[in-house]
Amino acid sequence: MSTQLPANLSEETVRQISEDRDEPEWLLETRLDALSALEELELPDVIQTPGRRWTNLEQLDFEALVDPLNAADRTERVTAEGVEVLPLVEALDEYESIVRERFGSVVDFKTNYLTALSAALFTTGTFIYVPEDVNAEDVKIRAEMNSRSLFSHTLVVTEKSSSVTILERVSTGDAVEGERYFSNLVEIDAGENSYVQYGSLQNVDENTYAYTLKRADAGTYATVNWIEGNLGSRLTRSDVETELNGDASETKIVGAFFGHGDQHFDVNARVWHNAEHTTADLVTRGVLDDTARSVYEGVQHVGREAWDTNSYQRENTLMLSDESEADASPKLIINNHDTEASHAATVGQVDKEDMFYMTSRSIPDQVARNMLVEGFFVPVLEEIDVDEFREDLAELISSRLRA
Amino acid sequence: MAVLEIKNLHAEVATEDGEKILRGVDLEVNSGEIHALMGPNGSGKSTTAKVIAGHPAYEVTEGEVLLHLDEDDFGADFEIPEDKRTWDLLDLEPNERAALGVFLGFQYPAEIEGVTMTNFLRTALNAKLEEREELFEDEDEAEDEEEDVGYDTSPMEGPVDEGEVGVAEFQQLLKEKMELLDMDEKFAQRYLNAGFSGGEKKQNEVLQAAILEPSIAVLDEIDSGLDIDRLQDVSKGINALRDEQGTGILQITHYQRILDYVEPDMVHIMLDGEVVMEGDASLAQELEAKGYDWVREEVYGTA
Repeated sequence: MSTQLPANLSEETVRQISEDRDEPEWLLETRLDALSALEELELPDVIQTPGRRWTNLEQLDFEALVDPLNAADRTERVTAEGVEVLPLVEALDEYESIVRERFGSVVDFKTNYLTALSAALFTTGTFIYVPEDVNAEDVKIRAEMNSRSLFSHTLVVTEKSSSVTILERVSTGDAVEGERYFSNLVEIDAGENSYVQYGSLQNVDENTYAYTLKRADAGTYATVNWIEGNLGSRLTRSDVETELNGDASETKIVGAFFGHGDQHFDVNARVWHNAEHTTADLVTRGVLDDTARSVYEGVQHVGREAWDTNSYQRENTLMLSDESEADASPKLIINNHDTEASHAATVGQVDKEDMFYMTSRSIPDQVARNMLVEGFFVPVLEEIDVDEFREDLAELISSRLRA
Repeated sequence: MAVLEIKNLHAEVATEDGEKILRGVDLEVNSGEIHALMGPNGSGKSTTAKVIAGHPAYEVTEGEVLLHLDEDDFGADFEIPEDKRTWDLLDLEPNERAALGVFLGFQYPAEIEGVTMTNFLRTALNAKLEEREELFEDEDEAEDEEEDVGYDTSPMEGPVDEGEVGVAEFQQLLKEKMELLDMDEKFAQRYLNAGFSGGEKKQNEVLQAAILEPSIAVLDEIDSGLDIDRLQDVSKGINALRDEQGTGILQITHYQRILDYVEPDMVHIMLDGEVVMEGDASLAQELEAKGYDWVREEVYGTA
């Protein structure tokens, strides 16, 4: 194991965090269990190509980055009629049995070192509960990180035949000297015939290392659609995953990233088809400028019992500079022949003929390039149900182009 | 009246040891006139068109492409000063050439996802007006002004900054021009050429010329891949460019067919990178009957 337990991380620290929040014993046990697993766990797998390991998580100095007892955030939560939207800690009073049953049921805390670290140390996060037959739009979470490190855990539970759209916006507030670490775990337990769209827009400052694992369990006839927008951070490792465990369940995993300067994005989308008649659509589009780098892995697993599967995957990276770098690895693993599937990835530069066409109509180079980049993101923008999210993302892209 | 004057134009593919394609093209097109440029495959017609517009894949090794403007070519409100009436297009960027009134209709128009026709064309029209101001403003003024590229655009709704031509005004203009070309209004909200049929793309090229009102439009095989109905619509549009806006047309074609609907004032025939024969509309008919071998014989003597 290459990652050592930081010296400032001890059982006392974890007990203190739990005590400060007046948590029930079972949650403290979960935290301590995660803590003790740290020594055994590895960092997440990263893509390797000959002679190159794309994302060097080993280089993260957790001892300097992690400051568990001084976590600070300002999180604004906007609820919708019929939906419970609470800080996770508060939900422990009113909804303890649901939280206890579902917390950690979709994301296994022992997935890797970073998930266990998050379970041991999380201090913020949100519980969203959508009761049966409730249809809700525009649940919003705006989280602002104000400390060196912040660990967040969000749990979404949708009951039978409910629907909800959620927008999560993550940014940094108060400036902190030096590097920072933000960890964001999200799990969605989507009940029978429910619909969830979970949009996440990450725009933390460029001294921050961001890790996120978002994972859903889609029940019978359930639909889980993810939109993952990454613009901020020094380095982002993002894993967005859906298990299609119910018959006729569906998922879309839509991603957008835009790197500039020396940013690094390690973006992953994965789906498991574990039941019959399931459908998945993975669409990621990214743009890189300056010396930014991206690495993408998309995986479609079609299980042995997954009869009548439809599974599609596309990834496109557009490079605006000669110094930017990208690698993409779409993977398709089929264990049931009754499958219609496709997977494709492209990495390229702005098309010269497109540029000539536009400039020949009087449009200056820079304006033409910006229009092409904005147009490139449109297929992603069109997937977004929440207007505010679509407008925010378009605005961030637009202002980055004109920076 | 504007004149496009091509003098002894030599060009090659812009790579090391690039193939020489144009070997001394001479050609003159006046606004208000229709010229046909014909020639066998590989004779340099399309290259001529691309070099006029400033395609980066070609390097000009000799010659000039001049645009002569009259004082009132940009309308009564825009007086073109005497010392800025002749431009060597080869010194200018593609967008500057376009702003001066040179339009290239593409043989294979680009398909651009995510950019609506309306957004694209209004951006183009406003960029043309703005670029014109810059090209004609005094050197001193130019220094004072900050380099200001672009508007704040959003891909879904188009430029936030109104530009000279606002959204409502532009939509009215677009609607009129589309009716003239018998184009369905729904095209306005579609992405630029994305999923358009071959015919729709060509119609769209003529529509763009109608919006941008160029002095000279070079149309590269605008007639290829058109069925007879669409050919008539497109021809009507080309004639309207000339009749209503006084645009000069340089029409590159392989076929006599379109010339039945768009009658040329003059026909130029290219062979091996040069214009080798010129005449009136009857030359195209003679060519149709006798073929390029006849031209070759006439020019080079017995084959």
